[in-house]
Amino acid sequence: MVSLLIHAVEQGLAYGIAALGVFLTYRILKFPDLTVDGSFVTGAAVASVLLVRTGIDPFTVLLVAFAAGSLAGLITGLLNTRLGITNLLAGVLTMIMLYSINLRIMGRPNLSLLRASTATRIVSAAWSPLGSLAVLVFIGLLTVAIKLGLDYFLRTEVGFALRATGDSEQMITAQGVSVNTMKLLGLALSNGLVAMSGALVSQYSGFADVGMGIGTIVTGLAAVIIGGALIRSNRVGLMTLSVLVGSIIYRVAVSLALRYGYVIGFQASDLKLITSLLVIIALVVPYLRERRLRKVQSC
Amino acid sequence: MKRLPLVLIIGLVIGTLALSVGAATLKIGITKIVEHPALDAVEQGVIDALTAAGYERDVDVEYLLASAQGDFSVAMSIAQNFLDQGVDLIVAIATPTAQAAVEVFRGTGIPIIYAAVTDPVGSELVLSATDPSGNENVTGVSDMIPVAAHLRLLLDLSPDIARVGMIYNPGEANSALLTDMAIAAAVDIGLEIITATADSTANVQMAAQSLVGRVDAFYVTTDNTVVSAIDSVLAASEEAGVPFLMADPTSIAHATLAAGFDYYEHGLTAGALVLQVLSGTMPNEIPVTYQPNAEIHLNLDLAAMIGFEFPVSIIEQAAAILYGGTIFSK
Repeated sequence: MVSLLIHAVEQGLAYGIAALGVFLTYRILKFPDLTVDGSFVTGAAVASVLLVRTGIDPFTVLLVAFAAGSLAGLITGLLNTRLGITNLLAGVLTMIMLYSINLRIMGRPNLSLLRASTATRIVSAAWSPLGSLAVLVFIGLLTVAIKLGLDYFLRTEVGFALRATGDSEQMITAQGVSVNTMKLLGLALSNGLVAMSGALVSQYSGFADVGMGIGTIVTGLAAVIIGGALIRSNRVGLMTLSVLVGSIIYRVAVSLALRYGYVIGFQASDLKLITSLLVIIALVVPYLRERRLRKVQSC
Repeated sequence: MKRLPLVLIIGLVIGTLALSVGAATLKIGITKIVEHPALDAVEQGVIDALTAAGYERDVDVEYLLASAQGDFSVAMSIAQNFLDQGVDLIVAIATPTAQAAVEVFRGTGIPIIYAAVTDPVGSELVLSATDPSGNENVTGVSDMIPVAAHLRLLLDLSPDIARVGMIYNPGEANSALLTDMAIAAAVDIGLEIITATADSTANVQMAAQSLVGRVDAFYVTTDNTVVSAIDSVLAASEEAGVPFLMADPTSIAHATLAAGFDYYEHGLTAGALVLQVLSGTMPNEIPVTYQPNAEIHLNLDLAAMIGFEFPVSIIEQAAAILYGGTIFSK
């Protein structure tokens, strides 16, 4: 049971990096960006090809994946800001293009990393005193570092402008800041994070597959919304923390559904139903508690 | 409402206790990437093979059945869950689930038997197909279909067939490999392969229609995307008035003819490997098994609709014939 929870938290943190990217577009920029289902795979594709074909170290690969994902985000941004395509459609178009591009990058639909020297494998060998916690500590440190970096960025002048763009485009234009530049920056940063997450997940799972990005937007949004329901705050540090907490809760929910779902009579095919029900419980319990509190106060 | 989480936890604890009391001695985890007729048939085949050998379900062996429902991250969670529950053996159906299992069970020595994997060496599940000594805890059965034999079958069907249309999803590892193999094999056989790609079920119809008038026969391998929309390919072949060869006999009602093996048979073969491992053979003593027993099935009803007549030599080879809505097996 403990090892299962450790793995669930590992996954929650690894996918949490992608959730931070989704948070950046969905919450901060108010730009519903569907590029992520493609850019997640782009990160995994770039990482796996470099790991298999070159001697590059698996940590630098994460940065290369970030750059590749940022390019994908820029494409969506340019389609939207320069060519006037609506935000949803721009994201969908880039996502579809990325399917073919990802196949080109990998050269085949599935690339195995089972015999490559991946970051998680290096870490579990190098930090062997930590035992089964080594990978968790590594992914945790990486994700928290990214979270703190993002917090810092959002508190800089440019970061403030980015946040203001999502709140009111008129206001930001009046301040003499280009809305389009801010959108491009936000989309590049967001998809860079998503691709980095994809690169990390592919090393963690031992393979990259062109289909592995399906649902990135859904799980990313689930993390943002669950986290937002549990931790309500407008402070940047708490908002990004809530995203990571939401991502971990989602993965723990999936693990519990797998572990205990069948005990209470569920079949393998009911999995998506159970995970969604667990997410609903996570959302509803704080809501009901708050409503109850309000009722008590009004009495 | 406040008690809801408590009730849930108590329920889970009681359930777990109830289960551990009646637990069987042997625990086998079966993981597949998605619900799919072929993959479901493999799962059933494995279970039936074990039952036939005397492993009674819930008495001698407990099965943990799991499907990732198409979500790759869940394939990883399933493997981790199997590890946590202390399974004695894993059956992994399809390439990504097998890769996830190999990654999670690395170094544990717990046997992994894969099935419905076309290229176990290319996907790095095993080091070598013929020499298993370096394959550690992994062995299994490949569903590689003999594409060259299928193309020769088309040539035997009619000397007029020169251009063969193939529809496939370039995103499916198995399917992309089989298409590449067909293109390479066609050169030697003297056929030309014309491909059309469909990245989703919705695009299969367009892809199939694009080949009408440009090909003398349609050929579809075990492509999950295309098989899900197989009737669009059949419609295109009828419009073009050319035969349609399907590499999966379970789909014979939707094609002029089918060659290959039944996925239930494939599951039985994987089950035989499971039994071999249970009886003490190490996975690194068993080389990659290739699915035997390919059969030819003919659909005379659909052939009549396009005015196509099978040569006698092909009818003699057929293991089953669909005529007047009924399947007659040899």
